[in-house]
Order: sequence, then C-alpha cells, then structure tokens
Amino acid sequence: MTEALVTRELCKVYQEGSIQVTAVQPCSITLCAGEVIGLFGPSGSGKTTLLSILGCILRPTSGELSVFGQTVSHLDENQLPEIRRKYISFIFQAFNLFPALTAFENILLGLRIKGVVGSEAEDRTAKMLQEVGLGHRMHFLPRDMSGGQKQRVAVARALAADCPIILADEPTGNLDISNGRKVMELLKELASEKQCCVVVATHDNRIEDIFDRIVYMEDGFIRRIKRSDT
Amino acid sequence: MFYVAVRILLYDKARSLITLVGVIFAVGLIFNQLGIFLGLMETSSVIIDNTPGDIWITSKNSKNFDFAQPFPEYTRNLVLGDNGVQWAEKLIVAWGIINQKEGGTEQLEIVGFNVDTGVGGPWEMKEGSTDLLRNGNFAIIDESAMGRLGNISVGEYRDVFSRRLQIVGICKGVKSFTTAPVMYMSFPLAQKLVNYLPSESTVFIIVKVAPGVPVQGVAKRLRTLLKGNDVYTKSEFSFKTRYYWAVETGVGFSFLLTIIISFLVGILIVGQTIYNSTMEHIKEFGTLKAMGADNSDIYKIIISQAMINALIGYVASLIITFLTAGLYDAIGMVLSVSWWVNLLVLLLTVCMCIIAAFISIRRIKKIDPAILFRG
Repeated sequence: MTEALVTRELCKVYQEGSIQVTAVQPCSITLCAGEVIGLFGPSGSGKTTLLSILGCILRPTSGELSVFGQTVSHLDENQLPEIRRKYISFIFQAFNLFPALTAFENILLGLRIKGVVGSEAEDRTAKMLQEVGLGHRMHFLPRDMSGGQKQRVAVARALAADCPIILADEPTGNLDISNGRKVMELLKELASEKQCCVVVATHDNRIEDIFDRIVYMEDGFIRRIKRSDT
Repeated sequence: MFYVAVRILLYDKARSLITLVGVIFAVGLIFNQLGIFLGLMETSSVIIDNTPGDIWITSKNSKNFDFAQPFPEYTRNLVLGDNGVQWAEKLIVAWGIINQKEGGTEQLEIVGFNVDTGVGGPWEMKEGSTDLLRNGNFAIIDESAMGRLGNISVGEYRDVFSRRLQIVGICKGVKSFTTAPVMYMSFPLAQKLVNYLPSESTVFIIVKVAPGVPVQGVAKRLRTLLKGNDVYTKSEFSFKTRYYWAVETGVGFSFLLTIIISFLVGILIVGQTIYNSTMEHIKEFGTLKAMGADNSDIYKIIISQAMINALIGYVASLIITFLTAGLYDAIGMVLSVSWWVNLLVLLLTVCMCIIAAFISIRRIKKIDPAILFRG
C-alpha cells in the first residue's frame, strides 16, 4: 500500500505564558492510501492537534511529517498552502460552507482553490453532488438544507477536489445517528473507490466499525492502535 | 473571488445597505465640503480672475481683494510711465450701506470701474448694459444679490449711503466671499459715494502689459518704483486672496477638518461592517486557507467587497451632489464640482475603503487554524 502520511517522532508543544503544554507526545505512525482511520480519544487528548499537523495547518514542534514521500515538516507558512492544495481536503464538524453560496457554488469555490476551473469544475461539481444524493438541491443555499445535507455538501467539496488525503474533524458531530452513519459510509465508499487516505477525528463510538484502523489517543499519547479485524 | 464578494454582499443585504449608507454619507460630506470650499475660493477671487489685465497694484500690505485700503490715484500716472505698460485702470472696491425696501439696511460691496473701458466691470449682463452707468446715479447689481435685497428690477431705485441710485442693469456670476451683494457703478460715482475714501484716491490699479513684454519684468520694475504699494501679477493676487480666506481666517482648516473627519467616519463605518462580515465568515475563510488558498485569495474577496462599496457609494454620492448643486445655487452659494474634484474624491473613497478592508485583512492574516476545529 502507498504510504500517504508518515510521522516520525512528531511532537507538538504549546507555550502558554511560562508553561509548556505538550499537545502531542512524540509519535510515529504510517497512514496509507485507501485506508479509513479513526482518531479516537476524549477532549484534550490531542487528536485535533494531530489532525491539524497531518493537514499541514499546524507545524510540529519537532519530528518529521512526510506526505506521499515528501518531507513537509520543515516547510514554512508560504510553502504549506501548495501542499494542502495538492494533497489534502478537509471536512469539519460545523460544515464551514459559505452561507451566501449555493451548494454548487461552495464546491466550485473549493475546486477553484485547488486550481480546477471552467466547465471541468462545473461538471465535476454536478457529478459529485449527484453522487452524494444532492443532485436535486445543488442550487440551494446552506440555510435551506438540513444538517445532514450540509455535511454531504462538505463531503462532496472534499471529494470533488480528488485529493488523495481527506481529514475530517467530528464529521458526524452535528448529525443524528442515521445521517452520521450515512455520511461515514459515503466517505468510506468514495475513499475506497478513489483510493484516498481518510483520517477522521471523532469520539462517536457508534461508527467504530467503519474504520480500517482506530488510533486511540490520551493526554497527547497514542495509547493503542486497533485494526478492524482484531 | 469577485463573484464570492458580490454574493456575500447580496446575502448580507441589511449589512451591505448600512455600509453603503455609511459610504454615501461620508463621501457625500467630502463632496459637499470640498465643493463648498472650492466654490468659496472661486468666489473670493472671481472678480480678479474675470478682469482683464496682468498686474494688480494695491496699497501696502493689503491682504485681499475685499478689504484693500485706498491710495492716491496719481499713482496711475507713475505706472503709465513704464514703457512696458499698455494701459492702467483704476478700480474702487469698497463697502457701502444700502437701504432695504421694507426698512433696515444691508451691507454691500461697491465696485467702481471705468465704464469707458469696462475693466473691472461685470463680464456677463443678464439685463441692461454697462454703458448706462455713464453720467448719473446709476448702478448695476448682481442677480445673486436678490436673495439678500429682495427682488430688484431694472429701473427701480435704491438708496446707497443715502443717495438714490437707479438700477440700470442686472449682471450674473459675481459673488463675494463675504456673501455681501455686489453693486457696480462708475468710478467717479463710487469715488463720490463712498464717504470714507479720501478724495482723489483709488483702491486698485489694474495694469495691462504691452504685447511681448514679460509680465514679471514689468511687475519687478513697478515694485521698485512704487515703494508705498504692493504689486502682484494677476495670478499672485488671486492666490493671495484665496490664501487669505482659506488659511489666515481658518476657514480652510475647518473645511479640511470636516473632510478628514468624514474620511475617518467612512473608514470606521466601512471597516466596522466589513470586519463584522469577515468575522462572521472567519471559519469559511479559514476553510479556504485549509484547502490551500493563499492569503491573497481571501484578501481579494475582502478588497472586492470594499471596492464594490466604494464605487457604488461614490456614484450615488456623485449623483446626490449634482442634484443638490442646484439647491446651493438657489441659496446663493457655489458648489464647485469639477472633473478633478470628482477624481480626487474617487481616490479618497477608494483609499477609505481599502484602509477599511485592511482592518479585516490583518485579522485574516492571523486566523488561528484551531478555530476550524471548534464546533
């Protein structure tokens, strides 16, 4: 399997006044293309920080991060957007859709950021909305959609870009059981079809069975890694 | 990104409307203050600017056109002695008292000129003719005086310094900075009528330099010759008069202050509303950054919002200013709106909105990615 994300002794320390807080203790982990990985742990366990570092939003204090073989942990703020454009898409708990733009336009804007424009972007957007079951709602504003539909738009935005890595933070957090499960199944299905590496930070135990591997975090440490078949 | 900016503005209609009203208010105020100030400046030197002649001679230390002191009229003979002088004309500008029809009095500015040459006289007649001023107690009044003096028609009589004068003409375009009505009459009549002027005196001598002779050279010679007078070229005297009213009286400063305050109010209003809008969309902007957008992509959205507000606000203010210019005219004021004023105000408006946008841009620069992960 292709190694999508590799961390070596990756560590994040925050300075809060005179106190140092270690959010992620040195960790080494390899995440592969086609895998759906769950990051589990209580609030403050460091899963969101780890997700931010994997997404090249935060820079690690020490250690190394490679994205598809390219070491990115030493890159500066001006170089990281290029990595994110090329490799990474995000899904957030709060959807983070532009309220002034329709579902179609929100995805189109995401594609534009990724450098996909014109009729190709429009075709891809329409196709992706059809795939997530929102073909009939593509010209609706987020305010006219349910939480589940908004999250599906966010998923479609993440997948439309054809990025090989998808990072999701509590994607089911604002959804009921049934919608949450639908979104996760959709993610798993599309991820496997497109051979994406999907990392989901969550504490929703009801969706544990979706993941190929589950990483349990506590106090910044990776305590345990569980494969779905074990 | 321009499209996204437009959609955000259309989505937040109430906020956009408030921003636009703020821009229109601020820009309208700038237009009006600048227009009134420039109008006043034009008015203050309108007679100098519309009088033929290259050089103005005044008494020593006269600060402006309206309050110059008299000096002996024989000075004109000395001036004519210079070979570079083609002609020289005397002009009286003095203050008088006119009786109102209904009783009471009003101050007016008397201009006494040589009717034979017309130098210093009205340059646009609405009714009557300057020729009629010869040989008698006749006067011409500017149409703008009617606001102060009531309706005046040709042929009627008015008392100035208790002497009955017949109005033989109505001119237009002559206004005084002081807003006092301007009345034209012949030089000899003004000399006789204005009781505080010494006999055989004038207030100005206007000089026309002979063709081909440098004006500055003649002015320099006259300065040497006339120790008791000040000698200015036409543009120097026009500027001196404008400078006096604008700077020495503090009028310019108060207008400038209002313009600066309007500018700052505009920045605050636009800045505040764009900042609020940015903060409301901070997670969406953060998401764009997470997806790989450069800061510049987001700046484009914010600056586009500011520019749209600037341009719509500017055009609306310009239309309102043109519509209100007629009202100013009706109350005897001049609102100067020339192409360069329009351009200047456009630049100020764009600057105002760009500065306002920078408040938000600073915030975007510092987006903490952690906000994206907060539900």
